[in-house]
Amino acid sequence: MAAVATARPQQAQDRPAAQQPAENPIDRWNRMSPEERERELAKLPPARAKEIRQRIRRYNQMHPEEQQALRQRYQTFSQLPAEQQQIVRQRWREFRQLSPPRRIAVRREIDQIRRLPGAERQARLNSEEFRSRFSAPEQQMIRDLSIYLPK
Amino acid sequence: MICPIQIRKPEMLLAYAAGDLDPESARLLEAHLAGCSACREIAKDQATVWKALDGWEAPPVSPDFNRRLYGRIDQGLQLSWWERLTRPFRPMPLRQALPLTATAGLLLMAGLLLQHTRPLAPAAPSGEIVRADQVERTLDDLDLLHQFNGTAATAPRSFGPDRSCFWYS
Repeated sequence: MAAVATARPQQAQDRPAAQQPAENPIDRWNRMSPEERERELAKLPPARAKEIRQRIRRYNQMHPEEQQALRQRYQTFSQLPAEQQQIVRQRWREFRQLSPPRRIAVRREIDQIRRLPGAERQARLNSEEFRSRFSAPEQQMIRDLSIYLPK
Repeated sequence: MICPIQIRKPEMLLAYAAGDLDPESARLLEAHLAGCSACREIAKDQATVWKALDGWEAPPVSPDFNRRLYGRIDQGLQLSWWERLTRPFRPMPLRQALPLTATAGLLLMAGLLLQHTRPLAPAAPSGEIVRADQVERTLDDLDLLHQFNGTAATAPRSFGPDRSCFWYS
């Protein structure tokens, strides 16, 4: 039987229970027995199953605090309306299709815009400089990701 | 099938080793044994005990059994106090000791299993199954959220499938 990443994410023990984000499906996956995990992975093509094992291993190897923050962000994201979640996923797919230099530019812009207060953010998105630096699809990508992604 | 050790029903393993399990349950348990070393080990040990018991055959009763029995009882009544005291500690013939030892072992093992409060298996079935495609979608979402964490000056290390996510490294 192929080895599956079994390391369980460390919990922030000192965090009060009320502040603990809800478990995500990966946390629940980690609680399944190796037999159960392998049975589920066996339903997928071997290459895809292998990729999932590697991705789970990388998630489980994250620093506990970083993992906890990500868990919190996932919880916030999963509470968004389904349509908004779909928009973010779609923009993410489009983002990954960009060339590396454009990804850098778009990502920096998203990071900067997300740090701005609401009014300044809107002004930035409507500015001439913004429109001249980014294509229409990139502008939409930046708008949607900077608005809907949890901080 | 849920691990009998995990759900604290080791009697299922005992019944299987004794051949008392119905065919359908036995088939399910055999499928489980193929993947669970802890249960397999217990079933194997149980089978060894039962084999030892099965292999023992009681000698036929001789025609003069009753006469000799009452003769021994009479002899016992005539024993000295010291002989009566030490008699239980005298060595027992092997053919009598084997089945008794096997039975004692069987009872001991059953007692230990029934009293065992912690799972012996390395990992427990959770009772909740998360589908692999659900895991994959969650990993996609986590990767997206991880990449746009809003605090990192550079993009963090991706755990996504696409290595091109390492665009800042």
